[in-house]
Amino acid sequence: MNTMTFEEILNRLRATRAWRSIFRRGPARTNRTRSLAIFGNVFLHLLPVKVREQSLRVRATYYLGTISFFMFVVLTLTGILLMFYYHPAVPQAYLDMKDLRFVVSNGVFLRNLHRVAAHVMVIAVFWHMFHVFYRGGYRPPHEFNWAVGVMLLLLTLLLSYTGYLLPWDQLAFWAITVGTNILSAAPFFGSQLRYLLLGGNLVGENALLRFYVLHCVILPLVAALLIGVHFWRIRKDGGLTLREDYERDKK
Amino acid sequence: MTAEKMGEISTRLRAIFALASVAFVAVLAVSPVKDFFQSWKRYEKDYVSYAQTRPDTKRLLADFHPGIDQIWLPEMRVLDRCTTCHQGISQASLRDASVPQPFRAHPAIPHDVKKWGCVICHRGQGPATETSEAHETTLAWEQPLLPIRFIQASCGMCHRADLPQTPKLNRGRELLSQLNCGGCHHLQDIERSAMLGPDLSNVGNKLMRQWIYKWLKEPHTVVDSSGNTVVDGYEMEEEPRMPQFRLTDQEIKALSAYLTTLKGQPIEPFKFDQSVVASLQKSADLADQGEVRFRQMFCTTCHSLAVTQGDETKLIGGDIGPELTKVGSKVNPDWLVAWLRDPQSYLSHALMPRYRWSDQDLYKVTQYINTRLTDPDLLSNVPPLEEPTQEEIRLGQRLFLEKGCASCHVIQGVSPQKDFGPDLAILGSKNVSQLEFGNSNIPRNLISYIQAKITDPLSVNPAARMPQYRLTPTDLDAITTALLSMTGSPANSSLARLVVPRPESAFRPAGAFGELYDRYKCAVCHRFNGDGGNLAPDLSFEGSRAQLQWIAGFLKNPETLRPTLIFRMPQFNITDQEASVIADYLGMVTQSPSVKLSAVDQKQFTPQMAEMGKQLYEVKYQCNACHTIGSAGGYVGPNLSNAGNWLNAAWIEEWLRDPQALVPGTIEPRRSLTDQEVQALTAYVLTLKQKAPPLTTSSAGTKAGGAQ
Repeated sequence: MNTMTFEEILNRLRATRAWRSIFRRGPARTNRTRSLAIFGNVFLHLLPVKVREQSLRVRATYYLGTISFFMFVVLTLTGILLMFYYHPAVPQAYLDMKDLRFVVSNGVFLRNLHRVAAHVMVIAVFWHMFHVFYRGGYRPPHEFNWAVGVMLLLLTLLLSYTGYLLPWDQLAFWAITVGTNILSAAPFFGSQLRYLLLGGNLVGENALLRFYVLHCVILPLVAALLIGVHFWRIRKDGGLTLREDYERDKK
Repeated sequence: MTAEKMGEISTRLRAIFALASVAFVAVLAVSPVKDFFQSWKRYEKDYVSYAQTRPDTKRLLADFHPGIDQIWLPEMRVLDRCTTCHQGISQASLRDASVPQPFRAHPAIPHDVKKWGCVICHRGQGPATETSEAHETTLAWEQPLLPIRFIQASCGMCHRADLPQTPKLNRGRELLSQLNCGGCHHLQDIERSAMLGPDLSNVGNKLMRQWIYKWLKEPHTVVDSSGNTVVDGYEMEEEPRMPQFRLTDQEIKALSAYLTTLKGQPIEPFKFDQSVVASLQKSADLADQGEVRFRQMFCTTCHSLAVTQGDETKLIGGDIGPELTKVGSKVNPDWLVAWLRDPQSYLSHALMPRYRWSDQDLYKVTQYINTRLTDPDLLSNVPPLEEPTQEEIRLGQRLFLEKGCASCHVIQGVSPQKDFGPDLAILGSKNVSQLEFGNSNIPRNLISYIQAKITDPLSVNPAARMPQYRLTPTDLDAITTALLSMTGSPANSSLARLVVPRPESAFRPAGAFGELYDRYKCAVCHRFNGDGGNLAPDLSFEGSRAQLQWIAGFLKNPETLRPTLIFRMPQFNITDQEASVIADYLGMVTQSPSVKLSAVDQKQFTPQMAEMGKQLYEVKYQCNACHTIGSAGGYVGPNLSNAGNWLNAAWIEEWLRDPQALVPGTIEPRRSLTDQEVQALTAYVLTLKQKAPPLTTSSAGTKAGGAQ
């Protein structure tokens, strides 16, 4: 039996029909075919073909954007698991918290993971934003991506806020009561906006359902979409804004 | 970038990645490990090994199912996981006190544990599977387990009427109404009675200011709970109904000044014949002579005095009128003379007879009362009180309202106060966060709050107006139990269905009588058709029992039919017209189907029959063992001296035939009387009429009385 190296096995595999049909490429032997392989892959096409050495340093970004994104992934996964145990209904919601605490295996861990990840995400997003701002990352050609980032910050905060009501305890109830009362002070349409958000004049059954749908469906979908745009624009705008670019532009 | 450098970086990165992965797995492992070692799993293991030591191991283990055990009653919104650890809760063989907790079985109660769950009665957190979470107050659950000595409060949450199994709760409810808590607070199912404290409109005529001062300062040193004077050496068991208010000496001075100005019509001092006074004043034994007259006039038939024999002090005398041991230190001498001469001119409904006094007797007796029936120690710590100033009076008037006195006491021209204190109807379901503990260092829970509020209100609220109560620990727990039972209607509609309300009276009269019925709160003490209070006789068939004229007379001047009772019907100052409305209504409506009033013709009773009845009464059946006629007879049954004016002939006949059929539970024995005997006895009883109308001197013990 011939012994084959790992490389040879991989190359053989890449030549198969199935591989070709999935990745649209055969074995990548030249730089060109390698870059084409990346362009042609839906998951990898967001990554730049070439990366500058500076942007690989930890200090270049402190991975703040990556951490935010990773937290978003963790939150999505734990959130889906939590949805298996949660009913957005008034008599049941708080009891579901009790079940997670006392009956579901690792339920406390699951809930805490969701909660801690949410805190970390908010912190990381803010830090990311400060970092980009002080690096001058909002300047041309990055203006649009900065604007997308601002929207993502808002979405992060809204996700945090809508999730806060779901345990349906006193803290949740009053936080949302106070928050939506602040909203009703907005000019012209304040009280209408509040009515729309709560589905009534009080924080009740309808508000719980609306916040649940916002928290689990609408806001995550919009956030995922904008995250995609955000990543794609980094590449299209010529990569990260590095300290060197900033120093150079200042001169 | 050179290849070596890349390799260096990637080796370092791999090392970091490897370390991070190990750390990550370790962190992830914490949760499953904690999950594995949960405390309820240990209890289940312990239960299994405990079951092995029991004789009925097989059955215990057959009923045991590992895993979380819960009582789930969606209808009642009960989700109790208590039985996960309390595995033996319904195993009759584990009911013994030697069985260690948490495995002991529940004591036998009328409710099935599995059908009701645990937390409805015991409070605490049902869904929890950890001891501290289930039993204690935590951040996420405010209602801790109810200590077992207050558990009867939970019975009272649903059973709004008294149950024989809940003596502590019943006692607490009784205390709440006895101590007039309803005067200031709204309480669940405890009605405000019609008369809370004495009318003070004329109090300035009657009482000495020094006594008022002492009374306001230390009421418990003056009288006990039944209104009798506290005599030295007398064991005091209960609070007087008047609580001790926290008043400064200056405030007490002001209040006593204000009260002494309440005179209605001032009393003209009676002018004794000066020659009589002069001659009597010379005799050294004036007070002794007074005492002799006091005894000769049988004052002690109605009034009692404390007598010390050896080490024992007890009250001797009747309890129809107030007890008089220290009355000389209490009332104004001028008022005393006026009262003795004509009680009704001070109090129109007074029961005290109007004696024909000679000046000598009057002077002797008042001297005796003023000098002997006193207690110099009682008023010894009262400071000298000067003439009340206008300022003091005004302050006193303000205090009377501010301190809530008007909640219980009536003064003409001062509007009564209702709901002066906080509403307590849902106190039992309050969460700790809703209570204000102030700076006190008592434990932060509802029970210690309630008890501190009663025994030392200032400790939790320095501005409290609530008076201080001195209760025995048993009574304090009883009253706490009753307050804890007041949780209002459960918000949970399925639980609300379970509430067994206090039987709403089916007897709801309308019209003129209905108004009077509401005003005088008849049902607080009397029963009608099975509903109402137990303090006074059942009036369901009063119209069959009593003659209308007698009812009207009684309403105007309630007298005690049973001399041994302490409670008497209050004097409501009912007008003639009101009395006849009530009597007519009772006569029309409260009829027993088995008593046919028209079937008995009074004329059929001949004197011969009455004579025979007298023989039967005195000799054959010895009725006088229990009943009094005139001055002779027993005290168990009602006094029959005036029964001929009181009872209907048909009622007497029916009563003699079968008393229990008319009044279930009466102790009157059922004798198998012949028809002839029944008629003879009825004829005799109908002849028992006190000739004079009430309120004159008459045979001892029945008509006399006093009202303060």
